[in-house]
Amino acid sequence: MGNLASIIPVVVFLIVATGLGLYARRASNGSGEGFVKEYFIGGRSLGGFVLAMTTIATYGSVSSFVGGPGQAWETGFGWVYMATVQVTALFLLYGILGKKMALISRKIGGVTVIDVIRARYNSNALAVASAAIIVLFFSATMIAQFVGGAKLFEAVTGYSYNVGLALFGIAVIVFTTIGGFRGVALTDTLCGIAMLVGIAVLAAGILNAGGGYENIMATIEANSPQLLEPFSAGAMPASLYFTQWLLVGVLTFALPQSAVRCMGFKDTKALRQAMIVGTVIIGAMMIGVTALGTLSAGVLTEDLAAYGGSVDNIIPTAIAQTLPPWLAGIAIIGPIAASISTVSSLLIAASSSIVKDFWLHRCESRGRAVPDVTIARLSQLATFVIGAVVFVLSIVPPDVIWRINMFAFGGLETAFCWTFVLGLFWRGATKEGALLSMVGGVVVYCACMAAGVTFFGMHQIVIGITVSLVLMVAGSLASSRAAMRAGKQPQPPLFEAFFPEK
Amino acid sequence: MEQRARRSMTYREKLLQADREAKAAVVGLVLTIVVWLVCGIGLSGLDVKVLGTPLWIIGGTLGTWAFSIVVAVVLGKRVFLDFDLDDDAPSSAAPTGEDGGLRG
Repeated sequence: MGNLASIIPVVVFLIVATGLGLYARRASNGSGEGFVKEYFIGGRSLGGFVLAMTTIATYGSVSSFVGGPGQAWETGFGWVYMATVQVTALFLLYGILGKKMALISRKIGGVTVIDVIRARYNSNALAVASAAIIVLFFSATMIAQFVGGAKLFEAVTGYSYNVGLALFGIAVIVFTTIGGFRGVALTDTLCGIAMLVGIAVLAAGILNAGGGYENIMATIEANSPQLLEPFSAGAMPASLYFTQWLLVGVLTFALPQSAVRCMGFKDTKALRQAMIVGTVIIGAMMIGVTALGTLSAGVLTEDLAAYGGSVDNIIPTAIAQTLPPWLAGIAIIGPIAASISTVSSLLIAASSSIVKDFWLHRCESRGRAVPDVTIARLSQLATFVIGAVVFVLSIVPPDVIWRINMFAFGGLETAFCWTFVLGLFWRGATKEGALLSMVGGVVVYCACMAAGVTFFGMHQIVIGITVSLVLMVAGSLASSRAAMRAGKQPQPPLFEAFFPEK
Repeated sequence: MEQRARRSMTYREKLLQADREAKAAVVGLVLTIVVWLVCGIGLSGLDVKVLGTPLWIIGGTLGTWAFSIVVAVVLGKRVFLDFDLDDDAPSSAAPTGEDGGLRG
């Protein structure tokens, strides 16, 4: 039987989150914006703090709170050192894509990243491929979030996996369906705060249980001195550092769920504020929570087998063993908030891919006017159905959450990095090059993942991102030359919005 | 600060400014990687501890974090310019605005 005291804080949190979704819906109704612009991009109204928090909460997932710290318990401070690379995520995102996406999306009337891609390359095939890749990889990520959150819930509260899944799975689907992008941004802000509170509470529990910080460090040095080495006696090779810099550092700005946030802020001041505030918070969050994983090695001192044989059990065990039930209930709000904030952001983006980028565009290209009320109903239905499908698929959980998350990260970065970067900064990028890059890169990446093919033992992102770049450049140059020989105009109709002459 | 003042810029000028900001962000990334390497692995040979924590852990994690905040502040206060995202200064060839112009 579960512990009621540990479930009450979670229930209260979910009620508040759902209330914020309802509030966002009411605010949207009175905004005077069209439904599509309001539901999928929140009327471009995000201020600096909300922009920072929604970006961080979307980026920081249950993997950051459970899988990563669990691995840090086993590997040591090398894993914390590796997690530090995430401090560059916000200034890279806002610096590289921030102003460009904001300006261009306003110019073309775009509300999704696929709107921008479609406008830049004038290619429906590329837009459809983008939508398919987004829905596919987002679904994998959402399943990992649901599973991670529900496993943690089960371990800490004593209630079953399915009770946890039902509780926050239903809540996140409902508030996302109702609140749209604005609701997601508001609940993300609440989730970001809850994540910080969860870290602080767990830190207090671990430090108290371990007899203070210095005592914990002494215990770690006595039991496992390799945890204090950067290469962890060979468990943290340089190649792993290199690939993690790519996966969770340099390339994260290309994730579509991050890029879309650059289309939703209200002014340039908000962008600057978000960059500074966000860099402070993301460091506290990612370094803090991963360090707690390593510090828990000073409290949970037995072999991994004693904790169920999976590093995913470490943080739930640390919460359950170091905190009284009511405080444990507050501590697990952090990872559950990380889970639902990522799911809600991906859910609304996946919904927009189907409704806005595929169905609505198809209607418009056939000259069929669609009333706002129909768009509203279909958008909410799509959000609900995608959420429900992911929920059902999560009932039978896969193992090792962070690997699923990293797989999806790599796939999305392979697909979108060069399509965004070269599309926005290189006049010579063409739709043929982009299509080759996106589809070819993802196919090669997935094939290498499935076959276990690596380049000198490094994560397959290295192969995926390299193939994607080569195909983009070669495809663009070849298609441009072919177009010039045929005397065709190589530039799409909206090219001027990306590279104005005057 | 003068640099923060909203200026009237053409659409093209705004995109060129965005290019400069992107380049500066990449420079910030490169510098952060250097700091991460030097303050982390670079200090791992020293047998210095603070509160039982080897110096490379503090330098590689908290040091890198502090440096990234400095990068964000410098970008935000010295490199990024404020301008209106919705209205552009007149330009003979500039595309028209969100509600009346080039739609996808």
